[in-house]
Amino acid sequence: MSDVISKDEEHEMSADSAVEKKGTHLERMAPVKDSRPYSPCRAACPVNTDVQAYVGFIAQGRYNEAFEVIRSVNPIASVCSMICHHPCEQSCRRCNVDEPLAVRPLKRFVLESTTEYRRNKRKLVEKTKGKSIGIVGSGPSGLTAANDLADLGYQVSIYERHPVLGGMLASAIPPYRLPRKTLQEDIDDVISKGIEVRTGCEIGRDITISDIISKHDAVLLALGLSQSRSLNIPGVDGPGVLLAIPFLEDVAFGRKPALGGRVLVIGGGNVAMDVARSARRLGVNNVEMICLESAEEMPAWKWEVDEAVEEGISIHHRWGPKAVSREGDKVKGLEVVKVTQVFDTNGRFSPAFDNNQTKFIEADTIIITIGQMANVSFLKDSPVQVDERGRVVWDPKTHMSSARGVFCSGEVVTGPGSAIAAAASGHRSAMAIHLYLQGENIEGRLPSYEKEKIPQLPSEVVERITKEPRMKIKHLPPETRCSSFTAFEFNYDEEEALKEAGRCRGCGGGAVVDTKKCMACLTCQRVCPYGAPVVTSVSEIRPEYCQACGLCAPECPGEAISMVSYDVREFRDALPSVIGSVDPKRQDPVIVAFLCSHHVGVLGFSLPENIRKVAVHCTSRIDVNDLLKALECGADGVAVVRCSSATCKYKGIENRVKARVERTKQLVSMLGMEAGRVGILTADSNDVASYSSVCEEFANGIRQMGLRTR
Amino acid sequence: MKSGSNLERVILSGKPAVTAELGPPMSADGHEVTKKANILKGFCDAANITDCQTAVVRISSIAAAVLAHREGLEPVMQMTCRDRNRIGIQADLLGAAALGLKNCLCLAGDHQKFSAAGRLKGHPGAKNVYDVDTCQLVGILKKMRDEGKQEGGDPLEVAPKFFIGASWTPMGDPIDFRPMNLLKKVNAGADFIQTQGIYDIELFRSQMDKIRNMGLHERTAILGGIIVPKSAMMLKYMDSSVAGVSVPKALIDRMNKAKEAAGDDKKKARELQEAEGIKLTVELIHQVLETPGIRGVHIQAIEWETAIEGIVKDAGLYPRPIFETE
Amino acid sequence: MIIGSQKPIDEIWSMVKDFKKVLVFACNTCVAICHAGGEKEAETIATLLRMRAGQEGKSMEVNFASVVRHCEPEYFEPVMEELQKYDLILSTACGVGVNFLSDRTGKIPVYPGINTSFYGAVESPGNFVELCAGCGNCILHLTGGICPIARCSKTLMNGPCGGTNKGKCEISPDVDCAWYLIVERMKKLGNLEKLAEIQPPRNWSTSRDGGPRRVSLEHIRAYEEQEELKSETAGGKK
Repeated sequence: MSDVISKDEEHEMSADSAVEKKGTHLERMAPVKDSRPYSPCRAACPVNTDVQAYVGFIAQGRYNEAFEVIRSVNPIASVCSMICHHPCEQSCRRCNVDEPLAVRPLKRFVLESTTEYRRNKRKLVEKTKGKSIGIVGSGPSGLTAANDLADLGYQVSIYERHPVLGGMLASAIPPYRLPRKTLQEDIDDVISKGIEVRTGCEIGRDITISDIISKHDAVLLALGLSQSRSLNIPGVDGPGVLLAIPFLEDVAFGRKPALGGRVLVIGGGNVAMDVARSARRLGVNNVEMICLESAEEMPAWKWEVDEAVEEGISIHHRWGPKAVSREGDKVKGLEVVKVTQVFDTNGRFSPAFDNNQTKFIEADTIIITIGQMANVSFLKDSPVQVDERGRVVWDPKTHMSSARGVFCSGEVVTGPGSAIAAAASGHRSAMAIHLYLQGENIEGRLPSYEKEKIPQLPSEVVERITKEPRMKIKHLPPETRCSSFTAFEFNYDEEEALKEAGRCRGCGGGAVVDTKKCMACLTCQRVCPYGAPVVTSVSEIRPEYCQACGLCAPECPGEAISMVSYDVREFRDALPSVIGSVDPKRQDPVIVAFLCSHHVGVLGFSLPENIRKVAVHCTSRIDVNDLLKALECGADGVAVVRCSSATCKYKGIENRVKARVERTKQLVSMLGMEAGRVGILTADSNDVASYSSVCEEFANGIRQMGLRTR
Repeated sequence: MKSGSNLERVILSGKPAVTAELGPPMSADGHEVTKKANILKGFCDAANITDCQTAVVRISSIAAAVLAHREGLEPVMQMTCRDRNRIGIQADLLGAAALGLKNCLCLAGDHQKFSAAGRLKGHPGAKNVYDVDTCQLVGILKKMRDEGKQEGGDPLEVAPKFFIGASWTPMGDPIDFRPMNLLKKVNAGADFIQTQGIYDIELFRSQMDKIRNMGLHERTAILGGIIVPKSAMMLKYMDSSVAGVSVPKALIDRMNKAKEAAGDDKKKARELQEAEGIKLTVELIHQVLETPGIRGVHIQAIEWETAIEGIVKDAGLYPRPIFETE
Repeated sequence: MIIGSQKPIDEIWSMVKDFKKVLVFACNTCVAICHAGGEKEAETIATLLRMRAGQEGKSMEVNFASVVRHCEPEYFEPVMEELQKYDLILSTACGVGVNFLSDRTGKIPVYPGINTSFYGAVESPGNFVELCAGCGNCILHLTGGICPIARCSKTLMNGPCGGTNKGKCEISPDVDCAWYLIVERMKKLGNLEKLAEIQPPRNWSTSRDGGPRRVSLEHIRAYEEQEELKSETAGGKK
């Protein structure tokens, strides 16, 4: 966030000669990556989460770093790991090959693997700014803004009408979708920064808006849409007809709502799904839904609908509610009328009905789930203007309401959307408030999440990518999951997660050319198996072609090519610490094994302590200099451990890697060292044990050769 | 008369000329030269004194030529472009002329890497000169002799009068260019030509047809090269490894037969092969001399100078004509 | 471009072994393209030297760096100060670069880290061939675009010697006979008869034989000198 304003924090790619390079490779590459088109997953994410980066970290078993990538832009990461609608997956370029990467489940895997790590990281942030901000509402946008503002050194107070933080996440999303302990991890991350929390505090009831305005230097209204809309049809008023939000709140807070034996849910959105599926979990066997839309037109996510159907919920498509039929007080059912059109020719919502076609659906409880609206009644008589339709007046360019110092974010102003979109709005509003409090202009300086993305995979590249099916997510069977509100989706186990992460093609994490160093020698163009580099006056590596194998980088004679993600220079720099100090009295040889993370990575096989594993994103990026470095650091032997060519994720790698190993052998021979200290090992990618055995065999060879004395 | 050398006289006389070759020793032993000179004397019209051939250091061609000359054998001094620039070359030519030498054969010289085909250490790390090439060297000699000028243009009060020779590889690659190569040397001023060794008489004659069509045989005296074969092995080696030399299978077979006739007796095998080699040489001489446009033979009995006498006699080329010196 | 080739590490070691702080300084142009002295190779050399120092029990700091070209002063300027921190600069530039930098480093010696081989082309990846000798007087129009000076072992100007064997040079069956190539090329061009013309002895004064050479462009120099003069007088007025 802060790099938006502070010039001094802006990075520049290190100067050409770079006699002394500053920072880690990742830090140096960050601005480069930012300046280039984003991977489609990242561009699709409302907060531009760098999916490719964290998935790559997962593939290498670097879960804490994966967590950092996620959390750096997303304060509701755990929430998203459960409920995000994952536009990243919908835009994944693997869609053109087989199936998209399972990004959300991978995120969940990371978040659940790093709980201890994140808990240990929580700490107070010093309040350096001397200003305070009141945030009304603690949903995704309020929490995100609180997070950012606390990080910037402001005193933040959150006002939440419910007894717990989280807004709709806590009070409306059913726990089977979002376990509350998961939500709590995100909330605890934010709160631990030192935020004043006032739960059970409703504006207009417990405190006035003027009080809040006068108490703080700035105020953020992150109110969300807390009221359900109702229907204006005969019979709607009276017992047996419920509104979605109060129903969901009852569910959320464990207050058993009174339901009959036949529940009919009106609506076809995601909230309707939550309502219907919650009703099933409250023991109602007969849950039906009606919606205006056909199955294809429904706004609810397809997977939600599929899961609901699995749970025995039937949906009446293209029917509109006409009247609630009652017998006395008791609801008998709903009279519905056939829908002839949902959207007009311009795609605008404009339902039309055929009154001649009606039917009657029996029900004793009807729950209306046709949308939400904001409750802004407390703003009456405040400096914050509300328009005639009950919407807070605001300027999207500054996030400011009509009252100076009072800002808005989230669905109260943007309308209904996803949690992560609300978080994005929270980021922008936090920046707006920061700029405002620093006396700076806001307009044009709020972060934009609209980024250019890498084009689709060219067909010739698609042909060269091996199909690998997406790792399936396991669910509890419908009959079991409907008996409680516990989460029904299983997390990936580590093997599944690593396999799935290995499917990522690394869009946007591939090769980049430092044009100051490139002498247009054509090496990369000759080397690339995917035809990505085009060399004219300098090399340009086309990101839509690049598969991030890394084969080109070690070949570049000018070291002008870096990999945006997981460049080997990272590993090279880390080798001294990986190897540590070599005990001159050691019995076992110290071996460095560079392993392809795609197949063996980190999982499932253990090696004796003397064999130091270094997982790399495909061994194609291992350079002569990496192998030499391992020996320089005192290793008795160094091996590149490859997958067999049949299972290698990339094409045309093997011979180049072999050639580099041969070259290294030559060079070490020049130093009078045995060439056999450098090796290339191949094992069966599907048999983890075979990797262990080839590594140990190699180590035995080195043992026989003798340990290095110097 | 351009030079007044014996060789020039023989050629002018219209009789087939015979030249031989004398390789100076790789030491300061001048007796070796005089010994060889005496062996050759009387059996050839002139003998080439090689200029560090196969790129190994030997007594210089000029010095050895003077030694031979003193013994009464007319030398053809050789001058390669490998070891001297045009200053050194011209200085040596002046010196050679002053010492009474009258024939000079111009050559590119074997490359310093050659080192006697790897049999000796040689000086493969030497720097070569090649300031001028053979054709240019021929031109320099001609300019000195006929215009009385150095290459740079300075006048020569007394010009060196050499009978100018050049080598020619009639059957070397690129074979299409070889006649033109000769043309250039002739145009540059070559009075006589000694060819690379000829075994493939058919191919040689077809090249000579071209030469005759170009009229070159009238503008220069072409002496066909004969390398005296000592063994089947030598013939095979020359066929496979010596540039511009191809040996028909029939000849190799003949030598092999001679070798086989000796059974396991190595000494006898050598004798039989040498005898066959001499027989073969005599036949080749006849075939070469029968080729229209040929004015003589250049017989190389490498490190086997004693063979020359018999060959020349068997070939009916003995005695050699004698001219009164003016 | 200029083709370089690596020196054996033993030779480099014997040059650098008595220094404490060594910078392997790469040139990222010609010698990088031929994988002899670009930044990558400099890194390799630096690593090997550190390893060697370790083997010999010597304490030596060896780093590497690169600039785009070693043959123009502007490229050094940003790193000149950095260079001063070293006892020795092992340049992996061509000899031009080593000379050029040597003149500018004061007391710090600049040693050659590679051998400068020739002017050549990348015939195929990893194959570099000499095609020009920089003789200063080009005659390629006469020889079908194939240079006898660079490519004939004897720099013959009037046709092949007798050593051509199956199209190869007498020095090695791996070396093409330039004159064989010239003749074949001229035949293709329908120009073979042009080779009949005798090329007279060459004037070698335009090549290395004429002494160190310099190309001086009056029109560019005059402008630069004027500009320099202007800035000097402007400075004087202040």
